[in-house]
Amino acid sequence: MGIFTPILRAVTWWNGMTLNTQLYTWRKGVRVGDDDAGNVFYETRDGKRRWVIYNGEAEASRVGPDWHGWLHHTYAEPPTKSPLPKRAWEQPHKENMTGTAMAYAPSGSLRQAAPAPRADYEAWTPE
Amino acid sequence: MPDLRKIVIDGQELEVDGALTLIQACEQAGIEVPRFCYHERLSIAGNCRMCLVEVVGGPPKPAASCAMQVKDLRPGPEGQSPVVKTNSPMVKKAREGVMEFLLINHPLDCPICDQGGECDLQDQAMAYGVDFSRYREPKRATEDLDLGPLVETHMTRCISCTRCVRFTTEVAGITQMGQTGRGEDAEITSYLGETLDSNLQGNIIDLCPVGALVSKPYAFTARPWELTKTESVDVMDALGSSIRVDAKGREVMRFLPRNHDGVNEEWISDKTRFVWDGLRRQRLDKPYIRENGKLRPASWPEALAAAAAAMKGKTVAGLVGDLAPVEAAYSLKQLIEGQGGRVECRTDGAKLPAGNRGAYVGTATIEDIDSAEMILLIGTNPRVEAPVLNARIRRAWLNGAKVARVGEVADLTFDVTEMGTDRAALQKLAAMDHSDKAGTPGVMIIGQGALMAEDGEAVLAECLAMAKAAGSKVMILHTAAGRVGAMDVGAVTEGGVMAALDGADVVYNLGADEGDVPAGPFVIYQGSHGDRGAHRADIILPGAAYTEENGLFVNTEGRPQLAMRAGFAPGEAKENWAILRALSAEMGAQLPWDSMAALRKAMIKDVPHLGKVDEVAANEVGDLPKGKIGSGPLNSAVKDFYLTNPIARASELMAELSAGAASRAKAPMAAE
Repeated sequence: MGIFTPILRAVTWWNGMTLNTQLYTWRKGVRVGDDDAGNVFYETRDGKRRWVIYNGEAEASRVGPDWHGWLHHTYAEPPTKSPLPKRAWEQPHKENMTGTAMAYAPSGSLRQAAPAPRADYEAWTPE
Repeated sequence: MPDLRKIVIDGQELEVDGALTLIQACEQAGIEVPRFCYHERLSIAGNCRMCLVEVVGGPPKPAASCAMQVKDLRPGPEGQSPVVKTNSPMVKKAREGVMEFLLINHPLDCPICDQGGECDLQDQAMAYGVDFSRYREPKRATEDLDLGPLVETHMTRCISCTRCVRFTTEVAGITQMGQTGRGEDAEITSYLGETLDSNLQGNIIDLCPVGALVSKPYAFTARPWELTKTESVDVMDALGSSIRVDAKGREVMRFLPRNHDGVNEEWISDKTRFVWDGLRRQRLDKPYIRENGKLRPASWPEALAAAAAAMKGKTVAGLVGDLAPVEAAYSLKQLIEGQGGRVECRTDGAKLPAGNRGAYVGTATIEDIDSAEMILLIGTNPRVEAPVLNARIRRAWLNGAKVARVGEVADLTFDVTEMGTDRAALQKLAAMDHSDKAGTPGVMIIGQGALMAEDGEAVLAECLAMAKAAGSKVMILHTAAGRVGAMDVGAVTEGGVMAALDGADVVYNLGADEGDVPAGPFVIYQGSHGDRGAHRADIILPGAAYTEENGLFVNTEGRPQLAMRAGFAPGEAKENWAILRALSAEMGAQLPWDSMAALRKAMIKDVPHLGKVDEVAANEVGDLPKGKIGSGPLNSAVKDFYLTNPIARASELMAELSAGAASRAKAPMAAE
């Protein structure tokens, strides 16, 4: 984007923060922490409002469950202070891939590079 | 002489039997009356009230046409014929009222219901349903029953027509189903939550007018309008039930019965109905040749050349399997006997006399059972050998026929007079004077179990002599669908299967999987499934199964019936007659036909009665030499109902059913 970034930020809301948000964050925001994807989380001094400045595209599903819970006032403490328990089977958070090439497709789907073969019978094999 | 009555239905005057119900009289007049609980082959319940009609001059309320007989109607004051109206405003209003009541508790499941598209309630709601609901209360909820691995239940959809209860008690002869409670609490349940123990239980799926009882293996796999329907015949038992094959692409999705009053009425056994997953598993889809003790895939020209080279100049014995159509048996006989070899179809060792059609088919038709007053079962358990036939015997018994048995004791769902279990009892029975029975119609049903031992021919001769003395007809109950047809075209060797295999260098096995081919000869196997025969084979030629080729099958009463192709054989597999024709060309002894039509023409020229499709030819019992009868019990030939042929053995569902039946037999319920 480079030199277009300020222009894009001025006329769109999904390329980083808007100018108004930047102004508001600069005036009222207290930085609380950031996550692995580089999103930065703020709250007002009285703790009433909480918000996120995305590192890149403004897409709500890019916020992981721990910070999501804090943003929506489900948890009082941010994950930096009281992180959620981590399970062995938990995978790293991934944003919603719908509409992209990375979207999920079942194994037999034609959208797979190598779709699983579909057979209408099972052949006998010796031994 | 029926008591004929005049009746006016919707202004149309006709004369009908007084014993008919109004719904049947309407049918004769060509008027269809909607119904849920009424079924021609079951007793009358009259509880759905959908078939209401107006009877002029009768009580001022609609009458249930399924429960009122024509002779119950009163004539008019001047002796006019009684008048019935089926399309008056009163009838329409009454039926709409009934439909509204039925729909009160019926869930709006149609989009996720397997009955959708073939549902009586759906269809009739189109004609009599109202487009709104006046009912604001919660719908009735009921718990689903566990009826076993075949019938899935959704009891909230049940409209309490009790067809399933009537079928299981009247036709299948089991007592597990019933209705409890009254009014809103009326519920179809199984006794103590038992699963159904019958091999005809699949029929309640067809009988259910709504989606309360649906097929568990078929659940959510297809919709009726996307299936290709082919009318065919079944080969799972020798009865040759009429079936409809519903296929999607090449896959058979389900089997349904077709109406054939002479054979299966409209029932089929569970093996017939649910065997389709066996048609998808363990399939032979390419030719194989054994090299260095291992089978390797080969191309057709390679395999045919190898088979021709192996057969040339050798003594060849051909075995015709249980599921082979007549055309394949005839082709094999022409090919191998042309080369100086011999062919045999009695692979189970039954001593059926060649050429004597009255003695290997019998003289009775299946319909003769209906009018029989005495039925004698010899060495057979029809409940496992032909369940639909057993239901027919049961109905004859309900109508007053006496059933007696010489042979293995087993529960047949009706009372049987036991005359003994072994050959000594048979001889004792035969020695009695039977001349007093000459006037009463009787049928003697002889199972393959009685004929399989060394003295089979003597047992058969004894039975036929006894039947002659008693003036009764004889039915030879076969266990293999292809047996009568193969006997008809003469695919037999003097001395039976041992004589045919004796000294053979090459065995051409056309789908005979029930016995082992002895070590020694070179084996060419032609068949559809990788079963016992394929493991023993040196060359495998993949053939079509019964839903994948047109073929003629002759059932146990000697009725030739056409099986039609519902889809193509898998992979490189070919139709059976075509493989034999191609092999004959490879051997330089080309069979004189290039098409199924030409083959049938040649075959019918040799065996004329095969050309009369769906007709039972009358048979004469020829002379049979009396022999010496040995000793020992007369047991049924079928040990496990669910696993009698390679297709059933390939089916996972049949294996599950077989295991379930075995465990039930081992541990009867503790409560009893």
